[in-house]
Amino acid sequence: MSANGEPVIRVEDLCTWFPIRAGLMRRTVGWVRAVDGVSLEVRAGKTLALVGESGCGKTTVGRSILRLVEPRSGRVTFGGRDLLELPPEELRPLRKDLQMVFQDPMASLNPRMRVRELVSEGMRSFGIGTGEAERTDRVAALLSRVQLDPDWMWRYPHEFSGGQRQRLGIARALAVEPRMIVLDEAVSALDVSIQAQILNLLSDLQEELGLAYLFITHDLGVVRHLSDEVAVMYVGQIVERGETAALFEDPRHPYTRALLEAVPSVDPRRRSGAAPVLGDVPSPADPPPGCRFHTRCPEVFERCSREEPAAFPAGSGEARCFLREPGAGS
Amino acid sequence: MSALEVEDLVVRFPGDREPVQVVDGVSLRVDPGEVLALVGESGCGKSMTALSCLRLVPRPGRIHAGGIRVAGREILSLAVPEMRSIRGSEISMIFQEPMTSLNPVVAVGDQVVEAIRLHEPVSRAAARARTLEIFQKVGIPDPEDRLDAYPHQLSGGLKQRVMIAMALATVPRVLIADEPTTALDVTIQAQILELIRELRSEFDVGILLITHDLGVVNELADRVAVMYAGRFVEEGARVEVLSGGRHPYTQGLLRSIPGRVEPGERLAEIPGVVPAPDDWPPGCRFADRCERAVDVCSERSPDATSLGDGRRVWCHVVAEEEAAG
Repeated sequence: MSANGEPVIRVEDLCTWFPIRAGLMRRTVGWVRAVDGVSLEVRAGKTLALVGESGCGKTTVGRSILRLVEPRSGRVTFGGRDLLELPPEELRPLRKDLQMVFQDPMASLNPRMRVRELVSEGMRSFGIGTGEAERTDRVAALLSRVQLDPDWMWRYPHEFSGGQRQRLGIARALAVEPRMIVLDEAVSALDVSIQAQILNLLSDLQEELGLAYLFITHDLGVVRHLSDEVAVMYVGQIVERGETAALFEDPRHPYTRALLEAVPSVDPRRRSGAAPVLGDVPSPADPPPGCRFHTRCPEVFERCSREEPAAFPAGSGEARCFLREPGAGS
Repeated sequence: MSALEVEDLVVRFPGDREPVQVVDGVSLRVDPGEVLALVGESGCGKSMTALSCLRLVPRPGRIHAGGIRVAGREILSLAVPEMRSIRGSEISMIFQEPMTSLNPVVAVGDQVVEAIRLHEPVSRAAARARTLEIFQKVGIPDPEDRLDAYPHQLSGGLKQRVMIAMALATVPRVLIADEPTTALDVTIQAQILELIRELRSEFDVGILLITHDLGVVNELADRVAVMYAGRFVEEGARVEVLSGGRHPYTQGLLRSIPGRVEPGERLAEIPGVVPAPDDWPPGCRFADRCERAVDVCSERSPDATSLGDGRRVWCHVVAEEEAAG
């Protein structure tokens, strides 16, 4: 078990490209660079939020780490091994330590299995618990831990509400005693009062079990509330990363600033009404040359369309922007 | 004259034993150029209230009782052809997902031209000129080229702009906006909110905004009505309602928003879940989840209590507090 704050997973220079095929022979005519050189770390007992707008590649990062899609290159170090190098039979035991919870739990819960089977499925495949009776007890304990009635283990998933299904998804992930959970828009489909229940549950579990969370979301209110660190993605790349409070207080990349300004204010004394970013997000199949944000950036200058900025130290982390280049002035 | 007035609206669906009232006695008023936001969680009846204003409640549901006036004219007694002529001219609607309401095989310009010509005896050329003008107004870049574009060639934000153009092309008195930005990314959402703000004063249109997002409410609304289980629980000016709210449900809702509490602090939880419409308790429907409930709450439905600032709150406890001064 890693001590709190120790990296549980280290992702380096991850690239996941999807081929664009055309013609009779389905030849590859181009690539969608969904993830294009992403590096990040998630620490034990901590939450890293991966945020960005639709199509920025945040979900593909999560899926690549679990090898639900095959990355093209990069390294994912977890439990001392590079997950991307492992043959399937060696990858399987590591999957126990690395679980995922999805946005729509109904799509990830087999509708024909009773809750007891759903929750204990992973235990059986990883040899947790010695007999069925012991597993039943463990399922009951897990259900009460996620605040569901243990007697409900004989029900089917369709008998549950959205929030209850998300609790089931969490119970199922916890059943195999993971070290890290990838949560992909795990609370996005829920009503706000139910969302609050699930967010509180997730932070309790983290504190209790020392879990590392990679929290993938587009909801910046949720990010600010629960994450320790934030990585902001734009067209396949992380453009800024830093500690949550510092990043929200003083964003160092123009995209992060635009994103934060665009969030509707929930403070009735203040409406944001800030100048919105113009235009649309470019396609990852045809990213703009140079800095990928230069087509929408209010602070763009000549160099931005020519050269691609590296990640420069900025604030409590890094920003991929020439304005943050050492010696750039501001 | 109000743009839209709804009085004691009741919407029913057939149930196993008896009819289920998904909207149960809702009254509201929207003035020209004003935005009234209906907020609440899934299943509270806000979308059914909105669809009722267009007489588009999906079968087998139907409007059981009440009155709905658009620009002073009662629409519930209108014959179907008359209603059809009002829909899209006097009262329009924009939806959450523009793709489902745009025809994928007709150029978007032609769809707006068609909408105009359906309601007004103008030539194609004149309707096209007006479409171009309104495309410019809703901020569609290269509007002339975009007239001939098909929906799939446009981004989500542009499609929503086309929907808004179509809804406003006939200069309606009332616009129903059902989660107009929920499917959009936050930077695009900011653009569309800005656009709606500009257009409502320019067109002097009354907007009934349906949303679950209190941030969107704060950015756009003049007044807010909070719905729970088919009824209003609180209604009033934006600042008063969002600053705290008096109804325990409004308060719980506001305290459960992640952006409103200090980071790391625990979010307030409203215990339990919203009951299903065939399972609504007698009395105040929030009573069994309410921390402040007293005996009378589960016995009798509360009437509206008017507060000094023009707010109305449906709560026995608040009524008591107000009576005590």
